[in-house]
Amino acid sequence: MIPSVAPLLAAAAAGGAAPDSLINLVPLIPAIPLAGFVFTAFFGRRIGRPAFVLPLLGVTATWLLSMAVVYQALTGGFGEHGAGTTLWRWISAGAFTVDVGFFVDQLTACLLIVVTTIGMLVHLYSVGYMAHDPGRWRFFAYLNLFMFSMLLLVLSDNFLTVFAAWELVGLSSYLLIGFWYPKRSAALAAKKAFIVNRVGDVGFALGIMLIWVSTGTLNMRDAFDRIAGLDHGTILAIALLVFCGAVGKSAQFPLHVWLPDAMEGPTPVSALIHAATMVNAGVYLVARANPIFSHAPEAMVVVASIGIFTAILAASIAFTQTDIKRVLAYSTLSQLGYMFAALGVGAYVAAIFHLMAHGFFKGLLFLGSGSVIHSVHDEQDMNKMGGLWRKIPITHWTMLVGTIAIAGIPPFAGFFSKDEILGEAFKLNFGWVWAIGVVVAGMTAFYMWRLMGKTFYGESHVDPAVEPKIHESTWTMTLPLVLLAIPSMLLGLWLGLPFGNSIITQWLHPVFSGAEQTLGQATEPFALFGIDGALILASVAVASVGLVVGIWLFGFFRRGGHRQTVEAITASSGATRFLYRASLNKWWFDDLNHLLFMVIGGRVANAVWWFDRNVVDGTVNGVGRITVGAGSGLRRIQTGHVQNYALGIAIGLIIMAGSYLVITAR
Amino acid sequence: MSQSLDAYLVVSGILFAIGTFGFLARRNAISMLMSIELMLNAVNLTIVSFGAFIPALNGTASVIALMVMAVAAAEATVGLAIVMAIYRNRRTPLVDEYDSMRQ
Repeated sequence: MIPSVAPLLAAAAAGGAAPDSLINLVPLIPAIPLAGFVFTAFFGRRIGRPAFVLPLLGVTATWLLSMAVVYQALTGGFGEHGAGTTLWRWISAGAFTVDVGFFVDQLTACLLIVVTTIGMLVHLYSVGYMAHDPGRWRFFAYLNLFMFSMLLLVLSDNFLTVFAAWELVGLSSYLLIGFWYPKRSAALAAKKAFIVNRVGDVGFALGIMLIWVSTGTLNMRDAFDRIAGLDHGTILAIALLVFCGAVGKSAQFPLHVWLPDAMEGPTPVSALIHAATMVNAGVYLVARANPIFSHAPEAMVVVASIGIFTAILAASIAFTQTDIKRVLAYSTLSQLGYMFAALGVGAYVAAIFHLMAHGFFKGLLFLGSGSVIHSVHDEQDMNKMGGLWRKIPITHWTMLVGTIAIAGIPPFAGFFSKDEILGEAFKLNFGWVWAIGVVVAGMTAFYMWRLMGKTFYGESHVDPAVEPKIHESTWTMTLPLVLLAIPSMLLGLWLGLPFGNSIITQWLHPVFSGAEQTLGQATEPFALFGIDGALILASVAVASVGLVVGIWLFGFFRRGGHRQTVEAITASSGATRFLYRASLNKWWFDDLNHLLFMVIGGRVANAVWWFDRNVVDGTVNGVGRITVGAGSGLRRIQTGHVQNYALGIAIGLIIMAGSYLVITAR
Repeated sequence: MSQSLDAYLVVSGILFAIGTFGFLARRNAISMLMSIELMLNAVNLTIVSFGAFIPALNGTASVIALMVMAVAAAEATVGLAIVMAIYRNRRTPLVDEYDSMRQ
């Protein structure tokens, strides 16, 4: 099979149609990283420093193959509704059968672009970032394991394999957050991420069971075909349970607490797993399950509410955090909230568009923050940075691109995707989602500029001992930054135009058209000089206001800004002081969880333990004690004297004979 | 020879009672074995007298009586051997000193 890859790739790249054989190569996409993981895990320690070569080459090969598959899928080479291939029957137990199979359609293709491109660039970046780490082989082995799991997740055509991949990405996330496991905080953060994810996974597992019970199949396409025939309550339950899994994996309220702590992992991991790919798995799942959600509008309202609430909650926390990676983590939460809000209002295409755009610019911002951290010698506190723009110019300019992209300033990527979400929310009669979304857009622009200002502009607060040693990172780290800055700038122009019938809408239309029909969405023509133009103006205006306030307070290039004003505003009234403290303490969610699960939960567990020890164990031990007591009482009659036994026999005989006589005499 | 079966049964009953009492009350192992013989002989006497007074049992009773004698002889042998063995171990013929069955 392997030798035939090259000519096929060439054929695919040339636009030649070889879809039938290309679909048979799809299993190779996850298989190559899996092979890389197995090889590196077994031999990496012996190979030592060059252990990164094979995983990097493997991921590059995966990227090439994926691009060929993506090209076929998006140009209609796999047909309008995608194509699949079944490998083998995994489980066969009576009526319950599970096949391992892969399925590629336009939605999968969009995810493949994000996962493989950013995956490859992060691998390249890690060569430089992890250069001095003795456990580098382990890092690359885990990265390849993650690539395998994530690709399996987006390619599987079956809920059970998706669930297995779902757990595998959770595992690799756990391993990579806790990569520096001797550090206590890293080990604890890894554990926290794993446990919080389990909470959501329980819901997802129950949802899968319910799908099996009600539709009799776990194959996604078959299940979606049969979903319309179920009663409304069942569909609603399935949708909410599946969404429960998505809430855990994509860190939405109330399970959002794990993602900021996950920043304990190495920065490339934060970029790849906790910003660009794995946390999008929940968005992908809900988008993939759109036939289920479109039959349960109540569930979609829940999705929209939780999404938009997470968006504004996380944005408010990002205002006051001082750890550069945590600001980005809360920003990720906020943007994921946008995606769920879009899914909830029924703007599936906008959600996937934002997923792709966000993957690129947030990956860029995280890798940029890694470069900053690297250059100031592992310092993450933004209060100890400042004035860096002259010293690390490539990092500065690429991060500036990322910031403008996420702030939603045209014509960068974030503008198109965010604007599409807000516009769709307004037009689909979710005015409240639109209103909160616009506020969050302004907040996003502000806190991102706060990050830029504190890091790159104004006076330097860097440790004087480190100051003279600040230098730009090596080319393996800056090249991915530049390569990610390009799509952050241009992706929106490419995919988001022309307005109203953009390229990405054309791509994804076959995937979501059924759901849109079920929801009864009316397609109005796009009016640039009407409602749509007004909406665009509103969101851009709000984002610009956020940006201008950020620039005024935190400076721009040589301008230092008015930072003392921040403290003045904070201290001006009781309400602002309360909001500042709430934001700084993340609205006390960690404390609330501590109270609920450690203090109250601990007490309940202690009470249950007491009941178990005293009542349950007491009953069992009591039976034993009675038996022992009866035995030791009865053993007194066992004297060992033969004449006592004989007397017993004699008495017994007399009683038997006597009672015989008495009975027969009657 | 008396013409009444009851007289023989009374004698054998008295013999059996004496044997039982001896077995339960005497502490000496040898005396206990002798008491067992007494009980066996009381039973034998009953069997033989039934054989003599009931024509249908004439032959059968004699056979059973002979069988009981043979078994009684074997039992006495084994019993004595056991008593000898215990005596060698414990240096006493008194059975209330033998309480190793308790363990």
